[in-house]
Amino acid sequence: MLDKQEIRRLILRTAARDEGSAEAFERLYRRCAPLLLGVAQHIVQRRELAEEVLHDAFTKIWLGAESFDPLAAQPFAWMAAIVRNRAIDVCSSHDVSRVASYHGTLDDDTEGTLERLLDWSPAADESEDGRRALQWLRDCLARLAAAERQALVLAYHHGLSHSELASHLRKPLGTAKTWLRRGMASLRDCVEARMGGAR
Amino acid sequence: MKIENSPLLDALCGEYLIGTLRGPARRRFERALRSEPRAALRLRHWQEIFAPRYSSTIEVQPSARVWNRLERELGLSRYRAPWHRRAAFWRGWAVAATAALLLAVGLQIWPPVEDRAAPVQIAELAGKDPASRVTAALYPDRRTLELRAARPVIAGPAQSYELWLLPAEGGPPISLAVLGALDARFQLAASHGQRLRAGGKLAVSVEPPGGSPTGAPTGPVILIGDVVI
Repeated sequence: MLDKQEIRRLILRTAARDEGSAEAFERLYRRCAPLLLGVAQHIVQRRELAEEVLHDAFTKIWLGAESFDPLAAQPFAWMAAIVRNRAIDVCSSHDVSRVASYHGTLDDDTEGTLERLLDWSPAADESEDGRRALQWLRDCLARLAAAERQALVLAYHHGLSHSELASHLRKPLGTAKTWLRRGMASLRDCVEARMGGAR
Repeated sequence: MKIENSPLLDALCGEYLIGTLRGPARRRFERALRSEPRAALRLRHWQEIFAPRYSSTIEVQPSARVWNRLERELGLSRYRAPWHRRAAFWRGWAVAATAALLLAVGLQIWPPVEDRAAPVQIAELAGKDPASRVTAALYPDRRTLELRAARPVIAGPAQSYELWLLPAEGGPPISLAVLGALDARFQLAASHGQRLRAGGKLAVSVEPPGGSPTGAPTGPVILIGDVVI
């Protein structure tokens, strides 16, 4: 389990660019690189490409640490977003014909994917708000229509574009877009309703 | 890109988080996040809702060459502390939270006084950038400390600076002041003034607005220097 405060501290120390910044950055890398490489590999599907993504992302983390928001609720999510975006860009620029290979490798067992790839146990240092938010997200994901949930999970975990998603699901492009958009909107409405109820 | 708080903004936030907003559209959205607080706020709301965490079961160990290449390309050796200032020192400093919290005092801005005896420089604080040097000077009453920055250093809206004394006799760092800028004059608690002596160090860390929430330094230390008195 990654310690949120520790990660925040290491990012801020990296940003300071003083003696000791390199140690902080190295510790940040040792802590987070394995999970981030896993995230990249789910998107680009190839180990050597995933390591390229990891390298590029950590270069960006080093250079961009000063723009990190010290108040961000989830410091790891800041890094994961950099990795995901880089992985998605690499896929488009390598013109990786992923959909063909995906039919064989992507599992369509969305429920299993949700349980296996996501961690729903609250972190030891998680605040009460954080615990509740995680539970709400889990409940609300379970309440989505199955097709919407599958579209969300495929897009998020494998970085599929709208057209890749349509091709994978063998549905028209418009349908895939609608599922995603409606899925995210329902998810938000559902979590917001619980947030409102808790206040 | 001008974005109103609207179904469009929500759709963009959702697609951005899920990863289907890409290419030029993503870059436009990222620009909008920097220039339009409303868009950034809305995304932050979305991030509170949609914050799944990856399971450690997907971890993959990277090969050593990834780190080696980063180390070389980014020139990290320039940012490594010499041995005598490494981890153990800082770790000892960071754990001592409670005592420092009890000792931390609120900042009182000292009113300007015209004919006051001249202050004596007691420390020169330096960081990675030699140009951002700060000198600390103590007035003969030992109650008034003045910081002078070689060039203006002003905290951003989401941060403040905190000045710490690492006492000569050891023990936890003592919070002397929470500052918005590194040009400042302020009054010290009497007990703190007495503890400013040779062998101690002064340091400035970057903290959330209002200062360290724990009473010990939590953010990066940007300046440090020996007390010579």
